[in-house]
Amino acid sequence: MSTVIQHELIGRFREVVDDDALLHAPEELFVYECDGYVVEKKAPDVVLLPTSTEQVVRIVKLCHEFGVPFVPRGAGTSLAGGCLPVGGGVMIALTRMHRILDVYLRDRYAVVEPGLVNIHLTRHLKGTGYHYAPDPSSQGACTIGGNVATNSGGPHTLKYGVTVNHVLGLEVVLPDGSVAELGGPAEDVPGYDLTGLFVGSEGTFGIVTKIIVRITRDPAAYRTMLGVFETVADATRAISKIIGAGIVPAALEMMDQGIIEALEAAFHFGFPLDAGAVLLIEVDGLEVSVADEAHQIVKLCEDAGAREVRRADSDTERQLLWKCRKQAFGAIGRLSPSYCTQDGVVPRTKLPEILDFITESGARHNIRIVNVFHAGDGNIHPILLFDERDEDQIARVMKASDEILGKCLELGGSVTGEHGIGVEKINFMDKLFQPNDLAVMADVRMAFNPDGLCSPRKMLPTAGACGMESIERSHPGKQAAS
Amino acid sequence: MTTTTVETSEEFVPATPAELSRFVAECSDMRMPICPIGGRTSLNYGYPLARECQKVSTAKLTDIVDYPSRDMTITVEAGIRMDELAKALKAENQRLPIDIAQSYRASLGGAIATNTSGPRRFGCGTFRDYVIGISAIDAGGRLFSAGGRVVKNVAGYDLCKMLVGSLGTLAIITQVTLKLRPQPETSALVWQTFDSYEQIDNLLGRLLTSEARPVAVEVLDARAAKLISSEARADLPADNPVVCLGVEGTNREIEWQVAKLKHESKPFEPIAVCEAAGDTTEPLWKALTEFETSSDDLLTFKANFLPSRIVEFCKMATASGIAIQAHAANGIVIGHVADEISSVEQAANTIAPLRRFTRQAHGNLTILQCDSTWKQSLPIFGDPEPSWPLMRELKSRLDPHNLLNPGQFIHGSINDTMSANA
Repeated sequence: MSTVIQHELIGRFREVVDDDALLHAPEELFVYECDGYVVEKKAPDVVLLPTSTEQVVRIVKLCHEFGVPFVPRGAGTSLAGGCLPVGGGVMIALTRMHRILDVYLRDRYAVVEPGLVNIHLTRHLKGTGYHYAPDPSSQGACTIGGNVATNSGGPHTLKYGVTVNHVLGLEVVLPDGSVAELGGPAEDVPGYDLTGLFVGSEGTFGIVTKIIVRITRDPAAYRTMLGVFETVADATRAISKIIGAGIVPAALEMMDQGIIEALEAAFHFGFPLDAGAVLLIEVDGLEVSVADEAHQIVKLCEDAGAREVRRADSDTERQLLWKCRKQAFGAIGRLSPSYCTQDGVVPRTKLPEILDFITESGARHNIRIVNVFHAGDGNIHPILLFDERDEDQIARVMKASDEILGKCLELGGSVTGEHGIGVEKINFMDKLFQPNDLAVMADVRMAFNPDGLCSPRKMLPTAGACGMESIERSHPGKQAAS
Repeated sequence: MTTTTVETSEEFVPATPAELSRFVAECSDMRMPICPIGGRTSLNYGYPLARECQKVSTAKLTDIVDYPSRDMTITVEAGIRMDELAKALKAENQRLPIDIAQSYRASLGGAIATNTSGPRRFGCGTFRDYVIGISAIDAGGRLFSAGGRVVKNVAGYDLCKMLVGSLGTLAIITQVTLKLRPQPETSALVWQTFDSYEQIDNLLGRLLTSEARPVAVEVLDARAAKLISSEARADLPADNPVVCLGVEGTNREIEWQVAKLKHESKPFEPIAVCEAAGDTTEPLWKALTEFETSSDDLLTFKANFLPSRIVEFCKMATASGIAIQAHAANGIVIGHVADEISSVEQAANTIAPLRRFTRQAHGNLTILQCDSTWKQSLPIFGDPEPSWPLMRELKSRLDPHNLLNPGQFIHGSINDTMSANA
């Protein structure tokens, strides 16, 4: 953005939002220069913190008028650079739109603003017998608007589905500043499922300003278990046996030795430090069924060679186990100064193969890799440890990451299960999809975002409306500035 | 939905998606509109086609491409009959838990394009929850894919969602990857009749925090109940409105849940309480699924609105002599309008207050089936929704010459304007 335009635009923004909702001094913008993917950085020229749909509309209309690109942002917990302002421009941070507008228990839905922190909704519903099912590990910080953008998952999505399975309708500000209502609180609204199409569009279709979410009945009972295995191979064999037996656990998570060590140091749960892998397994449902299923799971784990299967006897113990799992990423600080989390998916029967490959790739590039992931749906999260001050390490991390994701594709999987394409994986899109697929996706984006001003250079390996030139990925991580 | 007889001789029946892709591209070059055909169960759905169309059938696209049952996914061509698919899945003790009427004829692609569902949708969801990968051919003949073959995947736009319920107006679905579920050990249905709709309303409220987890919550008026009971050859009490609750799971779970549901219903004083279990269950599930297509009445509608308003709607509809089946916990009502109605004016007058009601209850009313001469005078897809302009924009981006099922969907007359300008 040129200084002249920036100056004039800021003047116009002042008419829309209060001074404390308009940031443009370089030191104020630092925090907005990246999300959880720290390899690429680019600060926006201006950050706005609107508090209403009307303000978002006015901001977007001004961006449109000035031809300036804009990008929405939630809490910035995304892990693929989804809210990175590629090439600069205006960032619209929605964290001040965080109200729960309505809860209708009888109709099983709630209406929330995009900046609402995920866990706040479930906390608000406590005691009603209902909760909001999608539970990303970052749920204590991430926003539901951000979850909609990336179609977030979480441990319990194995049984309950990802964000899109729980969104009934959206109010969105389209890139031309018009407001559209998609779906609604009733099911089966006549017409195309634009709500389903919008969820997971990573901010490239417009800005979500209101979300109608389905709320889910609490399970009557849980059983939470920790299977301890000598090797990762034994643990993956147990996963295969459980799924093969027709049991759909509420969650089925694997942690390898590297991550167990960090977790134990952080939380003192009593994890066995010499175990090759542990499985965190939860079944939920009716009291009459969970006991049977838990019993069956213990047996299947033992058949697969488990050293022991511990049960969480109290709710406190269960909560602690889940806290360990969900804060695993926080504990990584004990292992290295920086990390890069990958998000590949393979058919779950291919887990042993991909895990072997990860170990081998880490060794070859001399990068330490630890694993904590959603084993039940084949969604791996290898965490590559490095020091971002060392350019050579970054280059090796990128290389190993690319190899691992390439292997996921070779095994019939995908390069992202829940984190999104963002800027990180944009160069995988033409490996994952054929030119026709990408051309149809580009046409679909044109229906929502014809000028390409909203989240440019995201998701598709083309610039969108104008240009259509390809972005070259220059290692390490310089594309954001382009 | 009644069957329309289609001239089979003029149909193009490709053996492979590539062949279909080439054919559609040729049609597109000649600006020849196309009507995709699956199992011919819903050809009468929507507005009549605005122009004469070249018919293309998926009848030969029936291969099971890949069924890695341990991964609980299957990739199949879209022309496969629902019964054939169910049979293949059953052999591995798995299923796609979506109820499809006329499943012996209905094709998977057609069921997805019409977003068909039934009583189990409360517990099991609908197609949008199961289609994880899709291949289709757009109006220009481009064969494209989205999603993939793994159960969790957010790469690229979710064109699976876009095509579910798109009625063949955006693309012709050729291949689908589905997420699967294990086959439950058994199931049961608890059938209870009630004196008044007020008691039913109270029971529905109670069920929100039931200790059991029914997968189906059906409300039937006496007319629908009679039809369904007789269709199932079950001889169930049907002189009063019915609440029918379905549960699935292990034998132990079923036993426990049936007892629990009966106990929880007691305060609302059911007149009769029956249970379909064992061999009698399957015919009753089937009859509940087939109701939508089982009537000879002149008009069948589907209303969608807030579930809390179900009973009010049922009372209004029953007073007009409409036979109704409600997937009550989802706020979906199927209604067959009485045969005494013989003119389009009468039909419009009968449904007008119901339409107004659904609008007030955040919903709409779609006509699934009626005399084809009435269609231009009735709002087939209900009152305009605020997102329809955006949908038209999407249609025009993907099908700029309006060649796929022209005029059939919400676009109606707008489509014709579009094609006139093209």
